[in-house]
Amino acid sequence: MKKHNSVAPVFLAIAILAVVTAIWLTVLPHPAEAASDPIVVIVNVANPVDNLSTSELKKLFLSDRSRWDTGKAVAPVMIAPGAPERTAFLKAVCGMNDSDFGKYFLQAAFTGKSATAPKEMSSYAGLKTFVANSPGAIGFVKAGDFHGDGSDGGVKAVKVDGAAAGDAGYKLRM
Amino acid sequence: MRRLLELEAEVNQLKAQAATATTAAVAAPAPAPAPPPPVEEPPQVNEVAPRLKLNVFGDVGYEWYNHVPDTFDFGSLDLFMSARLSQKVSVLGEALFVAQSDNSVGVDVERLLLIYRQSDYFHASVGRYHTWVGYYNTAFNKGEFLETAADRPFIYAFDDQGGVLPMQDIGVNLTGKIPSGKLGLNYVVEAGNGRAWGVNLEPTQNYQDANTSKSINGGLFARPDKLPGLQVGFSVLHDNVTVPGPSVSETIATVHAVFINGNYEILNEGVIVRHAESGGPVFNTGAFYSQLSRRFREFRPYFRYQYFNAPSDDPVYVYASANEYAPLIDSGFVGRLNGPSAGVRWDFTEHPAVKFQYDRYSLRGQATENGLTIQFAFTF
Repeated sequence: MKKHNSVAPVFLAIAILAVVTAIWLTVLPHPAEAASDPIVVIVNVANPVDNLSTSELKKLFLSDRSRWDTGKAVAPVMIAPGAPERTAFLKAVCGMNDSDFGKYFLQAAFTGKSATAPKEMSSYAGLKTFVANSPGAIGFVKAGDFHGDGSDGGVKAVKVDGAAAGDAGYKLRM
Repeated sequence: MRRLLELEAEVNQLKAQAATATTAAVAAPAPAPAPPPPVEEPPQVNEVAPRLKLNVFGDVGYEWYNHVPDTFDFGSLDLFMSARLSQKVSVLGEALFVAQSDNSVGVDVERLLLIYRQSDYFHASVGRYHTWVGYYNTAFNKGEFLETAADRPFIYAFDDQGGVLPMQDIGVNLTGKIPSGKLGLNYVVEAGNGRAWGVNLEPTQNYQDANTSKSINGGLFARPDKLPGLQVGFSVLHDNVTVPGPSVSETIATVHAVFINGNYEILNEGVIVRHAESGGPVFNTGAFYSQLSRRFREFRPYFRYQYFNAPSDDPVYVYASANEYAPLIDSGFVGRLNGPSAGVRWDFTEHPAVKFQYDRYSLRGQATENGLTIQFAFTF
């Protein structure tokens, strides 16, 4: 049986590229922690979740996870573009700017994924109302817009990576 | 009479309710809570009907290659439609108007899919789709605006534009997540008619399969939580290809390792194609490409190196049509093609982008090809 092989360079190239990729990944800059106002992640008060990791947050806001463990549909909501806390949240959680974020959902739709961009609100009052009225909703607000004393009406804050917004080690900041 | 009695009972019940409400109001004079402010519903971009969303992609440009006259170039106009028919069912359609090598504009139903999403773990779709052969094909589809470079890697050129892999198919496609914790495993299984090979044949077998054998493709990929932006995976496709002469068993294996975050885009893919004639020789084709880019504000310089090497007597690739991504490559190209491309993408506003790209291809037994491309890619 005659054999024609031209695959050896492919294996060599894949090995070289894997090494280059690994080196590149190790030298990539890691997001620095900023010591400024925290951004509070809120969910509907009926949602049993109390803590979310950054990677879970990313999946929820990028529509990579469509249901909570309770079976409720995930309904992310965000303040409209331009707000500094939105910019900070997208950078810290999704590693994106607003343009990348829009392009992500454009590309997701184009590839046939079920990804749906988060709802956008022009005010934090509207955002909190939406979360309070939607069992599967999740959003974020500035610390100054969340009181945590029961006056926020139907929403509660969740920890991020095990830290509450008031903790020193809380990473999600503006 | 009975009706009258029923009505009287209802009136009495309503009176009793009203009295209770009045008593409660007197006992607790606190003001009634204000109704919640209405939830704002900003208009959805590209929503042309309550259910239908439309996105249009297009590209135009100018090309200089050293073996063909330089030319203005209309790339394609792509109408992408999607609609959610119910909570779990949606439909996706893509109509493509694309310039042909004879200067006509061809119309192509690029994709038409009915999609059922049972959960994150099971999505099923039926129709015409882009195959999950490697990463690039389904990550970027036909959206030049979404691609960093001005064109696809040679190995992922569309089959109706001279590509050598089955990039489009008719059949069923199953995808979903695999419960795997932080490893982030996903699966893909596809079954379709497969690709047709022959002179002046439409590669996608839209109406009638040339044989009873179906193309089966399966793949796995992982997106580990520990390395956000990284995706590694593989796919294996098998089909029996009908060509003049003995039937050919085709196996296509791909591997990919890609990393994409806000600044970096690193794409690496390798492909091995095995063509085995029934009771005859075996022909192996190897190919890979690597693409690196980094964003500097609105500029994204990029570099790509690609390699493709098909045996000169491969029984299938001699039927490849002219490749529109490498003008020197005529139909029936076999042999080695390799070389670098370098360019810069400039996103000068939100949605149009302009790309400047230099290509240099070396083709075994032929002169080296150099080319410059300016491409304006946009979406709206």
